[in-house]
Amino acid sequence: MNGPATTWYLALAAFLFGIGALGVLVRRNPLIVLLSLELMLNGGNLALIAFSRHFANGSGQIFGLAVMAVAAAEVCVGLGLVVAINRRNLALDVDRLSELRG
Amino acid sequence: MTYGSWICLLSPFVAAVLIMFGGTNLSRRVAAWIATTGVFVAFGGAIWAFLGVHAQPGQVGEYTRAWTWLQSGSFSVNLELLVDPLSTVMMLIVAGVGGLIVLYSIGYMDGDPEERRYFAYIAFFVFSMLMLVEGGNLLMLLVGWGLVGLSSYLLIGFWHEKPSAIQAAKKAFVMNAFGDATMALALFILIFHTQSLSFGALSAPLSGSTANWIALGLLGGAAAKSAQIPLHTWLPDAMEGPTPVSALIHAATMVTAGVYLIARTHAIFEQARTIELIAAGIGALTLLVAGFIALVQTDIKRVIAYSTMSQIGYMFLAVGVGGYANGMFHLMTHAFFKALLFMTAGLAIHALAGEQDIRNMRGLGKVMPFTKWCFLAGALALVGIPPFSGFFSKDPIIASTLNIGWYGYVFYACGLIGAFLTGLYTFRLWFLVFPGEPSPFVREHYHDHHGREGAWTMLVPVGVLAVLATVGGWIQWAPHWEPFTKWLEPVAPTLAAAVPTSTQETVTSILTVLVGAAGIALAWAIYAEKRVEIPAMPAAQRLLENKFYFDELYDRIFYAPAAAIANSLRTEIEEPVILQGGTDLGQTALDAGGAVRRIQTGVLRTYVFFLAAGAAVLVLAFLIAK
Amino acid sequence: MNSLVLASTAGNIVVWIVWIVAGFACLASAVAVISFSNPFYSALALIGNLASLAVLYLLLSAEFVAAAQVLVYAGAVVVMFLFVIAYVGPRREEPWSGGPSWKALGAVLAAGALLVEIVLAVSLAAGGSLGHDHTAGANFGSPAYIGQLFLTDHLLAFEITSIVLLIAAVGGVILGSHTKKAAA
Repeated sequence: MNGPATTWYLALAAFLFGIGALGVLVRRNPLIVLLSLELMLNGGNLALIAFSRHFANGSGQIFGLAVMAVAAAEVCVGLGLVVAINRRNLALDVDRLSELRG
Repeated sequence: MTYGSWICLLSPFVAAVLIMFGGTNLSRRVAAWIATTGVFVAFGGAIWAFLGVHAQPGQVGEYTRAWTWLQSGSFSVNLELLVDPLSTVMMLIVAGVGGLIVLYSIGYMDGDPEERRYFAYIAFFVFSMLMLVEGGNLLMLLVGWGLVGLSSYLLIGFWHEKPSAIQAAKKAFVMNAFGDATMALALFILIFHTQSLSFGALSAPLSGSTANWIALGLLGGAAAKSAQIPLHTWLPDAMEGPTPVSALIHAATMVTAGVYLIARTHAIFEQARTIELIAAGIGALTLLVAGFIALVQTDIKRVIAYSTMSQIGYMFLAVGVGGYANGMFHLMTHAFFKALLFMTAGLAIHALAGEQDIRNMRGLGKVMPFTKWCFLAGALALVGIPPFSGFFSKDPIIASTLNIGWYGYVFYACGLIGAFLTGLYTFRLWFLVFPGEPSPFVREHYHDHHGREGAWTMLVPVGVLAVLATVGGWIQWAPHWEPFTKWLEPVAPTLAAAVPTSTQETVTSILTVLVGAAGIALAWAIYAEKRVEIPAMPAAQRLLENKFYFDELYDRIFYAPAAAIANSLRTEIEEPVILQGGTDLGQTALDAGGAVRRIQTGVLRTYVFFLAAGAAVLVLAFLIAK
Repeated sequence: MNSLVLASTAGNIVVWIVWIVAGFACLASAVAVISFSNPFYSALALIGNLASLAVLYLLLSAEFVAAAQVLVYAGAVVVMFLFVIAYVGPRREEPWSGGPSWKALGAVLAAGALLVEIVLAVSLAAGGSLGHDHTAGANFGSPAYIGQLFLTDHLLAFEITSIVLLIAAVGGVILGSHTKKAAA
């Protein structure tokens, strides 16, 4: 394969994942959290595709497509939640949305 | 003959089941007659079985097997009956006297709201007793043994609204359970050594100590069931039950089961001669103690109960020295006259609307002549005056003790003193209750039953038993004519040491009659003619009235420590540990949950943070592991 | 031979350049996603991220996945995001305001640790097996190839994914529907 070795792709995926994790941990707006979640998913996807190319096994790409579909589904539900929260005029702040406490 | 035995066994059972399932659909009368018919059919079966054994050459009887009950390796036990001379004698007694008593119950229990339950129980009892005597191996015998104890408990506590009856029932059952336990242990030892519970296994050669333990266990069971010292305190209290129950269970049949047991298992007792002699000693002791206590009793049924205890002491004495036929013969005559005594007492109690205190019953004979004469017949049989039946059965027992050693002389003396006491207490009872002018109490409370002293269902059995008490002993007159002993010879031969010479026999008979008559005379002098005053012996009086303090002793030894242990267990262990522990456990779970609850802050970012941190730790661990 | 080597080396250099550019764009847009205070801008940055990822997928001979990435992710998911962001309305959040709180510090540390570990784990622990690439066929990553895999080896995944999407659609509808009583 031309270009960088698989390890480079994996490192990039790791960085992407880390940045996404950082976003989930730091941001308070649930929409941004969901976006960061997308970043993490994409990082994982990149790793999957990289390995798929490395081992010349198409299953990785299939899995990547499945991850994409599931990510879309999850975003759909998550955004539905955000819309519902907003409709009830609650603050869109994950720190304040803490009624599910023990 | 085997059909006869099965009919005999199952007919009362069928009657009990019918009454049980019939419930209130049957009228009380019908239930009563079902039970009576069941027992009389059993008597028919018993006669059939008896004739069958009689017609057999050798007259040894046979086993009849239904199926194999238990099987474990080389050990197997069958559901089988044994029809042999000994069991047919018992079958005839149980079914015959039982039938008469059940018939009597129809009149006695008439009007009782729970009559059906009574008849179901009593039919069940007859079935259990028949299983006991017909059982073809020790396990069947044990089953019958236990069921008889159960029936006794149910019937003593029949009037369960009376707390005294419930307590008496419990006492009887617990003491019997003790005997059952020792018997079971004996059977375990037997299985361990012989892998069998058949009667033949008892003749297997066993080491001395093994035979001793087995015999001791069996003796424990026999003593408990037959109310011999030291397991005798339940019998007087058992008089709380209805009088027919006292007649059937605690006079004629159940309490004699111990005697039957020793006769049946005599092979092992002969191997453990010491234990057999201990049995005789227990019998001798009991007959004396019971005789003494009977002297001061004021309840008519208690006098007869102690008399029963005393007479069974005679039977134990007989089988203990090896005269099994003597013991069984006395069992038979005793069944006749003791049931008769109870039933006539029942007539008196019934006519006086439940009164049982003999101090109130003076002069009853004038208004109840039939009862008076029947009671007299029973009393004379009990004391052993010829030609009544007791004479023929009691004297050989006393005579048989002469040739076994120095303790035989002690037993002999006990037997004679016992005969004196029997005369004294029996006729004390008779003279206090029957002759003379009716007391004001009698005049006020006596009520007859349509002009007669009782219903015909009560009078007929009493009459029949009076006849039997008179002539029932004429079947044997040792040493001149002994068909009874010969009949039992194939299965329970008398030991040589227990056979007296004819001189000894004759001398004993004369002595016993004289001694008995002396007792009667003394009773007449004290109670009828009032010529002799009873000397005031307050200490002795108190000792006898408190029944030699056996109840108090057992209370001190067994009940008080057990109750103390139970109480201390409750306060030390049950309450703080178990009850409080359960509550504490729940509280701890709640507290732990409360602590864990605080992790659920509801803030999303905290959760994610923990997620990320946890994942980091895991990957670190993975790295290190690699 | 020389021309082949030259050609492959030239091809190689092109790939490297494309890789560096795409990688840089990817990371920069990712940082932008988590840094903007206006969620609208964050969503737009995500589009950039997804596009650069698509380029990377192309480099990895995953053509179909790259196309799907652009179509599904950038085309549908991010558009959904933009819809909702527009619906929710403008709001500003100062992500890094108030100085680094202990929570933020802990978050950075956790994320950093995770990152480092992943890189280390992957490069060290899997060292030997990542030596040689396997040769891929000519149609590796093509739609025909993906389609064949989906309908033979991974049929179950295919079907289940479709069910998951259905459930998510139903869930979305339920969550977004008007409630009977007025909003609390």
